[in-house]
Amino acid sequence: MSGSLRDLIERHDVIVCAGSGGVGKTTTAATIALWGAIEGRRTAVLTIDPAKRLADSLGVALTGGSEIAVPPELLREQGIQLSGSLSAMMLDQKGAWDALVERHAPSAEVRERILKNRFYQHLSQSFAGSQEYMAIEELARLRESARYDLIVVDTPPSRHALEFLEAPQRMNDFLDKKIIRWFVKPYVAAGWTTMRFLNRTAGFVLRTLEEATGIAVLAEISDFFGGMSTMFDGFNERIERVSRVLRSPKTAFVLVSSPEEEVLEEAEYLSDKMAALGMPLRAVVFNRVHEEFNRPIDRTDFPRGEIRGDDAERVAVCLERAGIEPRELAVRLARNFVAYQDLARGDCLRLEQFSSSLPRQVPIVRVPNFSADLHDLGSLQRMHPYLFGKS
Amino acid sequence: MRDQTVLDRRLLFVVGKGGVGKSTVSLALALAALERRKRVLLVALDLADRARPIGGLKQAAGPEPIEVLPGLFRQNVDGRAALEEYLQLIVPVRRVLRAIFESKVYQYFVAAAPGLKELMAIGKIWYEVDRGRWDLVIVDSPATGHALQYLRMPKAAYEAFSTGLVHREAKRVWDLLTDPAATAVSVVTTAEELPVNETISICRQIGDDLRLPEGWLFVNRFHSPDFSATELERAAGLVRKTASAFERSLTKAVLGASEEESSWASLNETCRARLATETGWRLALLPFLFREEFGFADIEELSSILAAALSAHGGGRRPEVAR
Repeated sequence: MSGSLRDLIERHDVIVCAGSGGVGKTTTAATIALWGAIEGRRTAVLTIDPAKRLADSLGVALTGGSEIAVPPELLREQGIQLSGSLSAMMLDQKGAWDALVERHAPSAEVRERILKNRFYQHLSQSFAGSQEYMAIEELARLRESARYDLIVVDTPPSRHALEFLEAPQRMNDFLDKKIIRWFVKPYVAAGWTTMRFLNRTAGFVLRTLEEATGIAVLAEISDFFGGMSTMFDGFNERIERVSRVLRSPKTAFVLVSSPEEEVLEEAEYLSDKMAALGMPLRAVVFNRVHEEFNRPIDRTDFPRGEIRGDDAERVAVCLERAGIEPRELAVRLARNFVAYQDLARGDCLRLEQFSSSLPRQVPIVRVPNFSADLHDLGSLQRMHPYLFGKS
Repeated sequence: MRDQTVLDRRLLFVVGKGGVGKSTVSLALALAALERRKRVLLVALDLADRARPIGGLKQAAGPEPIEVLPGLFRQNVDGRAALEEYLQLIVPVRRVLRAIFESKVYQYFVAAAPGLKELMAIGKIWYEVDRGRWDLVIVDSPATGHALQYLRMPKAAYEAFSTGLVHREAKRVWDLLTDPAATAVSVVTTAEELPVNETISICRQIGDDLRLPEGWLFVNRFHSPDFSATELERAAGLVRKTASAFERSLTKAVLGASEEESSWASLNETCRARLATETGWRLALLPFLFREEFGFADIEELSSILAAALSAHGGGRRPEVAR
């Protein structure tokens, strides 16, 4: 069958897990990677979440910046056998930017100055999309290294993965060659007295802003671009190359979601936008789904043929007949059960509605609501039957 | 006279990890304040992060406050818009402004002037508190990292610029944020391992690094079943082999749901204890609500639970005065 998550992962080299924060994206990415490694792929999982969740999940201390093989004794402890291999990497955004500066700064003195430069600090730490951009750079680097044949990426917890998809373009727009060239000219560093030689609008804008706010920025900006001029040679081409990995036919986007209303709303928005960008979703994983009672229901006990929120008494009667006593305990347990059925019914309705808006060939898997956080290899493996069926 | 609670301050920040229910708790706090006949402004800070309507209340679309319930107003504040608004005040020539906003160099300016956007957004909130139109301003903040950036900015800015306009603005804002009679920062979390790790670090940053006045730690979606693990274990041993297939399958499902609830409860309790010892903050537990659909009535229910928790402790221990 063409519509399974298993097939999808077999056919692709890069799996990008997208979705809102707090829906189990990191866990899902690690679970998929573990499965790939068990099935014989040389697998790497790249995580970006500053909460270092993947480190928890994989039992490795990720310091950031390079891939670390998951320790074999951890796998042995959990009785897991890999036919392939499994490495994990935590993106260190700041470190990745600093490494760029390291490579391109002409001298130690310039390097130190750039690292302290306010413009640089913004670009490397808080510019919207810079974290996402570095993630894609790392992804491209891992892919070009040819050391892995499956790379699973956990996207940053931005509002929607669009930020991730648009990051290269955004970076490209921001680091505009024409403007950079202007800042790099030696007379800019000389200050405003040489203004008449410069691009009029740009100079005027900066001067007005500096005067209005009392914040001097010209020196900072020109020092950054001047000191790093070699980095920007060919930078736009590099961004272009990096962004190609996202559009590759061997890359698949998997949406991770939970059945809550607001999360599904975001997921729907994301799904539409991604289709419009030509990077459609290839699969959906719903985590934390409550399951409805799906066995045949005895109509003599439940005339409506279903168990609803007001059926606690009827459930308690059945429990008593099955031997649960005292009655008062049976009632308490029954009340909890019908409460869970309410959740399950809500989840089911919302998921069906969401799924009906997706193209038919997109595989959808539901992972039940595990009552404990999943954070070791053994519990990740227990998710495999839900994602990939019985092996 | 009623006891003083955190609702009697003038500015409440609600921060926390993504997906733990910040918007729900912010709205519940707002409803509790309404109940006390206060005029409340609920600010969504940097909505671009996560635009979602909540509890059937329409999101205020623009930067101006909109009355969504009698006495409750909503407003969106975002850094970029706040900075532009501010520049409009100081660069009054419209043509010049347009040239500025359209220029790519404007983005460079924003990038090279650290935290100016964040400062202006907080400045706008300061203005709302200062102009006296509201008894209480509640700020529903973006996810952790970004929220702390907002809270940190005024101090960073007045330290970075020792004189001038930005220094004065930043100082004013920081004085408000650190005034324990006016402001409190509350944190929302769920009692699960990973959110708790992040929450402990947030509380540390708010209390120890930024020295902002602590509010409450709201522990959301807390499971507390009315049966114990021991009762459950005993019940499981009682199931008769003679019961019908339906009775047995139903009993199995009931026991399954009970076990699920019981293990959530034990996880939640472990996390609660950890939060209590490692943060030292006042905790308010908000129950997990079993609903087919979560709606406004449910937020009202949480609101009254929350109001009771706040009053039970009164003003609690006095927050430390920031230096």
